Amino acid sequence: MAAERRENEWWRTVNLRSKEASTKVMAAGTALKPMTVEAAEEIAAQEFARIVESHRPQIFRFLLSSLRDIDLAETLTQECFLKAHRNWSHFRGESSAMTWLMRIAINLQKDYWRNRRLQFWRQTRTNAVDLDEASEWLPNGERNAEQQILAREQVAQVWQAVKGLSERQRTVFLLRYVEERELSEIAEATGLSEGTVKAHLSRALGRVRTELRGTR
Amino acid sequence: MNWRQDLAGENPELELEVEQALKHFKASMDAWSDVALSRPRTLAKASVRHSWRPAASWALGCLLAAGTLAGAVHHWQETKLAAQKAAQNAAEERAAAARATAQPITAQSIGAQPDNKAPAATTRELSAAQHSASGQDEALLASVDKDVSREVPAAMEPLAQLMDDGGTQ
Repeated sequence: MAAERRENEWWRTVNLRSKEASTKVMAAGTALKPMTVEAAEEIAAQEFARIVESHRPQIFRFLLSSLRDIDLAETLTQECFLKAHRNWSHFRGESSAMTWLMRIAINLQKDYWRNRRLQFWRQTRTNAVDLDEASEWLPNGERNAEQQILAREQVAQVWQAVKGLSERQRTVFLLRYVEERELSEIAEATGLSEGTVKAHLSRALGRVRTELRGTR
Repeated sequence: MNWRQDLAGENPELELEVEQALKHFKASMDAWSDVALSRPRTLAKASVRHSWRPAASWALGCLLAAGTLAGAVHHWQETKLAAQKAAQNAAEERAAAARATAQPITAQSIGAQPDNKAPAATTRELSAAQHSASGQDEALLASVDKDVSREVPAAMEPLAQLMDDGGTQ
């Protein structure tokens, strides 16, 4: 969190500098070296590249968990950063870059589902993997075979619960339990109030509990 | 992990299981996305696309649409013209019928109304028209009689000539 705050502060400074690049800033009688527009833009581009590098895996993971389609998740991740690059000048640093990017990703995902609903007659090719395949992925820790099977079963049950969630509930659930975002960040990214986020999480957890209880 | 506070259910055993399941779920997603993100990507050579195909299909589509439109417009115009012609014919027929019925009615109305003092000029015109009409009829009948009487076989022509001469003498 502290690193993000530092990053935001830094960005606010860069944006400010790029806007006042051609003017000389005088502070307490000391002349600061003026920064040209080109130099400011170059710094901004470098910083954006750094942001892409650091946040790409998280955006991709969120989209992959939402869509269960690797190709589509990659495409939407690229679109997300393209949109972010186009609107970078509008980013004021009021929220963290991650929250801002996540908001763009959520909107892209919403657009995708809306388009799919509207084009229901079209035989769109989908590469979404089924739940069993998605549950296969587990890191090879020091677990024994029995623990691996148990873990896989639990993952499958959580996927089953996620499948039954509404689009909004799923987004909130994934942001909380996969991306481990704070409630305030989720509220900001989704445009919901914290109370609504809590309500969605409670319902989603209820589904997970029901799934787990069902196999006991 | 900042979401542990969310798990405050009545059944601690179940909550522990939920926590484990969520942890595994996150670990699974991390592993999957790491593998998917770092997978080797093959760059396929872009195949040469036939650009004329979409152009041809577009042109054909446009042609078809234009043809359909032109046909519809032509049909509409034809229908409109036919309707106009029919209306014109009907109007002419009506006018002719009205003209045909108007003359006798006028004459009858003039003759049938004794109290109605028709102007002398109108009466005169009417009688003159009747006279000229009867004269024309007589002339027509006379010419017809002449034509008919002249139609004699060629062998009888000298006799007819003689009769004419004798008649005139």
